[in-house]
Amino acid sequence: MIAKVLVTVWMAIIIVAAFLYANAAVGFPGETSRILFFHVPQAWVATLSFLISMIGSCIYLARRNLKADNLALSAAELGLLFCLLATASGSIFAKAAWGSFWNWDPRETSIVILLMIYGAYFALRSAVGDPEKRRIFAAVYSILAFVTVPFLVFVVPRITASLHPEDTMNPARPGMDPKTLKVFLGSLLAYTGLFIWLLRLRLRLLNLEGMQEPEFGARENMDRVGEEQ
Amino acid sequence: MKGGRWITETGSSTYLSEAVAIWFRDLRGEFRTRYAVNAILMFAVTTLIAVSFSIGSFRIGEGEQPFLYAVLLWIILVFSALSGLSRSFVKEEEASTMDVLKLSARPQAVFLGKLFFNLTLLAALELIIVPSFILLMDYKIELPGLFVAMVVSGGVGLGGGTTIVAAMIAQASARGALFSVLSFPLLLPLMITAIKGCEKAAVGTNNSGWPEVRIAVAYSVVMIVMSLFLFPLIWEE
Repeated sequence: MIAKVLVTVWMAIIIVAAFLYANAAVGFPGETSRILFFHVPQAWVATLSFLISMIGSCIYLARRNLKADNLALSAAELGLLFCLLATASGSIFAKAAWGSFWNWDPRETSIVILLMIYGAYFALRSAVGDPEKRRIFAAVYSILAFVTVPFLVFVVPRITASLHPEDTMNPARPGMDPKTLKVFLGSLLAYTGLFIWLLRLRLRLLNLEGMQEPEFGARENMDRVGEEQ
Repeated sequence: MKGGRWITETGSSTYLSEAVAIWFRDLRGEFRTRYAVNAILMFAVTTLIAVSFSIGSFRIGEGEQPFLYAVLLWIILVFSALSGLSRSFVKEEEASTMDVLKLSARPQAVFLGKLFFNLTLLAALELIIVPSFILLMDYKIELPGLFVAMVVSGGVGLGGGTTIVAAMIAQASARGALFSVLSFPLLLPLMITAIKGCEKAAVGTNNSGWPEVRIAVAYSVVMIVMSLFLFPLIWEE
């Protein structure tokens, strides 16, 4: 409850600060550089949830714990959501700054592949009837997909130059305005908090759903009911 | 696993010999039915004819040819492979021989046998399609060595990335569509690399060390090793 209020207030502060406190970066048309405070954290959360989903999958394969699979599933769902948000916000910026909604910039390529992986993950989950098998297959696919990601991150950007602004927009490099940096880091925190809150909600819901359906892996659910008490 | 123990005790069967046995068994079955070969090759030939007929060898300018031909070649190869490679496992499911296979060989051996079989199919596909493509499209290649290495390593990557997916979709519904949907995101990095490598081979860019070939080889090794780890999980359930 406290966490929910904190995330809400902090998010509101960040939104106000993003538009009123931070300066628009030089070299961008109009106020477009303010996308930094929303687009980059969205992409970060999309990537983070991909990682969490993979970790959940590994734990599930090792322990066969239903909660781990719920974690993998809910992280993947939120990952898909934030992936779509990042794609949409980035696309609007691309139209304003680079002249077209879609340019096949390396990072756009990577996010499309991430979207396709999430899409395939849910397609696989819906196509396997047996719940035990579904969880194992989804976990295996999640790990396989994760293994191919390094090839993308390192292979694709080297092939073509990126349109993404680097020097003034990357906190790891000098050239970022201190005010911008403050708001950006705050925004990362806000989005990560929002993600964790949503993830916990979804997990609770999935765990409750699991308890209601004893025919889906009845034994595991009974065990879990025992644990909770 | 009783069967597995018995096999090890006699010392007559190793992972490799089991894998080879499954490979030859699949090849024999394939010679009798020719289902996978027909599906893959006819798909590839049809696409190749469609591409060649609609584009021909003069339509694309000299300067654009290396890149665009590489793209077309790999689209033909990847989608032909996706049209038929799932057969290796789907046919076991359809003939209800999955359980017998589970009893008679260790999972890694099954995976390797199926991988060898898929690689054989891919080799046949590339042996027929790549020369035909070069002839029909008048594809000029400056560095044939690099081109061959890229096609071969790309083919190994195609097999390595899709065999475990085939094993999964064989046990799911909506198999045909699902195989492409699941495989394509995994194959995309390989495909981009292979296109780049073939373009460089056609242009004759001096690139020492063949980085694209090494990436494709690394991809194949990673995917095959991961599959060997993960395959028992999806096989023994």
